[in-house]
Amino acid sequence: MKRLGLLYLAAQNLRRKPFRSFVTIAIVALAAGTLFSATLLIGSVDRSLEVGMERLGADLLVVPEGYQESGQAALITGAPTSFYMDGSILDQVKTVPGVDQASPQLFIESMVSSQCCTGHVQLVGYDPSSDFVVSPWLRDNLQRTLSKDEVVIGSLILANKGEQVHFYGHDFDVAGVLDATGMGVDESVFMSLDTAYLMARESAQVAESPLDVKPGQISSVLVKMADGTNVDQLTQRIKTNVPGTTVITANELSRSVTDRISGFKRGFIAVDAIVWIMSLLTIAAIFSMIVNERQREIGLLRAMGSSRQFVFRLMLTEAVFLTAAGGIAGIFVGGAALFIFKAIITSSLGIPYLWPPVLTFVKLMAITMILAIVSGAVASLYPALSSSRLEPYAAIRRGE
Amino acid sequence: MQLSGGASDALMTTDAMIVLKDISKTYKVGPSTVRAVEKVDLEIPRGQMVSIVGHSGSGKTTLLSLIGGLTKPSDGRVIIDDINIWTLSDKEMSQLRNEKIGFSFQFASLFPTLNAIDNVRLPATFGSKNESDHDRAIELLNLVGLEDRIYSYPGQLSGGEQRRVALARTLMNKPRLILADEPTGDLDEDTEADILEIFRTINGEGVTIVIVTHSRAVASQAQRMLRMHRGLLSEEEE
Ligand SMILES: Nc1ncnc2c1ncn2[C@@H]1O[C@H](COP(=O)(O)OP(=O)(O)OP(=O)(O)O)[C@@H](O)[C@H]1O
Ligand SMILES: [Mg+2]
Repeated sequence: MKRLGLLYLAAQNLRRKPFRSFVTIAIVALAAGTLFSATLLIGSVDRSLEVGMERLGADLLVVPEGYQESGQAALITGAPTSFYMDGSILDQVKTVPGVDQASPQLFIESMVSSQCCTGHVQLVGYDPSSDFVVSPWLRDNLQRTLSKDEVVIGSLILANKGEQVHFYGHDFDVAGVLDATGMGVDESVFMSLDTAYLMARESAQVAESPLDVKPGQISSVLVKMADGTNVDQLTQRIKTNVPGTTVITANELSRSVTDRISGFKRGFIAVDAIVWIMSLLTIAAIFSMIVNERQREIGLLRAMGSSRQFVFRLMLTEAVFLTAAGGIAGIFVGGAALFIFKAIITSSLGIPYLWPPVLTFVKLMAITMILAIVSGAVASLYPALSSSRLEPYAAIRRGE
Repeated sequence: MQLSGGASDALMTTDAMIVLKDISKTYKVGPSTVRAVEKVDLEIPRGQMVSIVGHSGSGKTTLLSLIGGLTKPSDGRVIIDDINIWTLSDKEMSQLRNEKIGFSFQFASLFPTLNAIDNVRLPATFGSKNESDHDRAIELLNLVGLEDRIYSYPGQLSGGEQRRVALARTLMNKPRLILADEPTGDLDEDTEADILEIFRTINGEGVTIVIVTHSRAVASQAQRMLRMHRGLLSEEEE
């Protein structure tokens, strides 16, 4: 049979006061859980923004005047919108100096009436001849363009490749599913502009509620800038040269998200700092109490030949046991809470969301655990040290 | 069964297990000074069984603690097994206590979170020996007549049973010196006799024993009787 060890003794001591151990664990779990889930949330927003912006592929978007907000909302969270302007805007935009590529898109709000069930989706018509958003993806993944009965869907549309979806009385084959971005794209369905116009025209006969979109109308123009162009200056030029339009820049888009999340970040930092400090103080207080209560036992251990170092390590180990357990509990509870409330949080804050890759998850868990363990060690340092410094006889007497 | 370590190892330069040289222990309590132990000179040869008697508060427990290095003397030197113990580092002192000295305390001293056998095994935890301590712990519990209470927790044992577990623990590391503070304090005569018998056996194996006691029966078993009186130590003539 194995010898009794430090860990065994520490565990036995903690079992003696289950409620106190539980409270300590709970406090640390609160601190660790807040840290874990909030960092995860912020990280996910950042990642979503990064991936989403890359998928957007444009430096700026030209939309009808007055639709800047709803355009942003559509791009970030996929809140469906429809606004239209004349197709001639495209040609005007193309002539503005500094515009390298320009491609029109058409937005159509739709209810999904198929196997998929997310409710509202955004249908997006793109122009295969000038598009630089969906086409590169098609080239890489399908090695062809879409036919007139085909669509490519965002990752949140509940349909698989090869299945059919229905919009405005039309059946479409799902030719591919885009990777998740956490942004509006995930709830969009892409089809060619011609398909969209055709669907609109025929909706009068086959759909319950016909579409009021005329051929030639577009919703936005996606713009890629020429190298060395200044975004602000280009924005200004477009606004003056193309009356009736306004511009959403990719920068603005990220900034609007960053702004929304920055208040949250500040609040979170304040709250979590307070919670950590509280838990450090609580652990310190609890371990001073423990040292006091156990003076006699500590004296007895010393009489049996345990060194100061052993007593010190025993106390530290007990504290670290608790904070490590708190860290684990925090990661689980915080992670689960985020998982459950993710939808509510993202829609109420109006932020995009994309779970980070596994490695980031693991890193974040490790950081949380290290912080929890270090906290336990730091908070119990003084009580552990003073317990190890007790004179054995004095400790035994005082504990009587 | 062998209860103690083998006859002591190298460097046996004197026959004295314990040498106290001009030992005093004083406490400052407010403006006054309590002289718990005063200018005690004592030499106890290896293998001797000594009893210490004296009134309550006369300094017996303090003296035992001084011998065992549990408290630092205000003055004087403590030499155990030819080692001036207060010149040792904490690690060395702990090792000395662990390997050579067995304490038996005046009060219940078991750990409530550990069962009987784990309590007995505890001293082995701090040692460097790597042998299994389980079998020895069982043997010792047998010796004190508690073989059927091995897994009982202190809270499930009577006061006398707890004392016997504590005695088993004292013997765990085969100490060469046993410092026992009223080991039979609240025990009935039969149990007292059993425990005395154990002490006698160990003493027969060459272990030095110092017993603080109020019991005439226990004191009379010792080869030598000392008396504490207000911190002063004197030999008690038969
Ligand atoms: N830490 C301390 N501070 C002040 N006085 C102390 C301290 N420890 C012991 N004393 C005093 O030293 C004296 C000796 O105490 P000690 O415990 O050695 O007596 P004892 O002979 O073991 O008594 P008993 O038979 O009651 O156990 C007592 O007067 C006690 O009050
Ligand atoms: Mg006493």
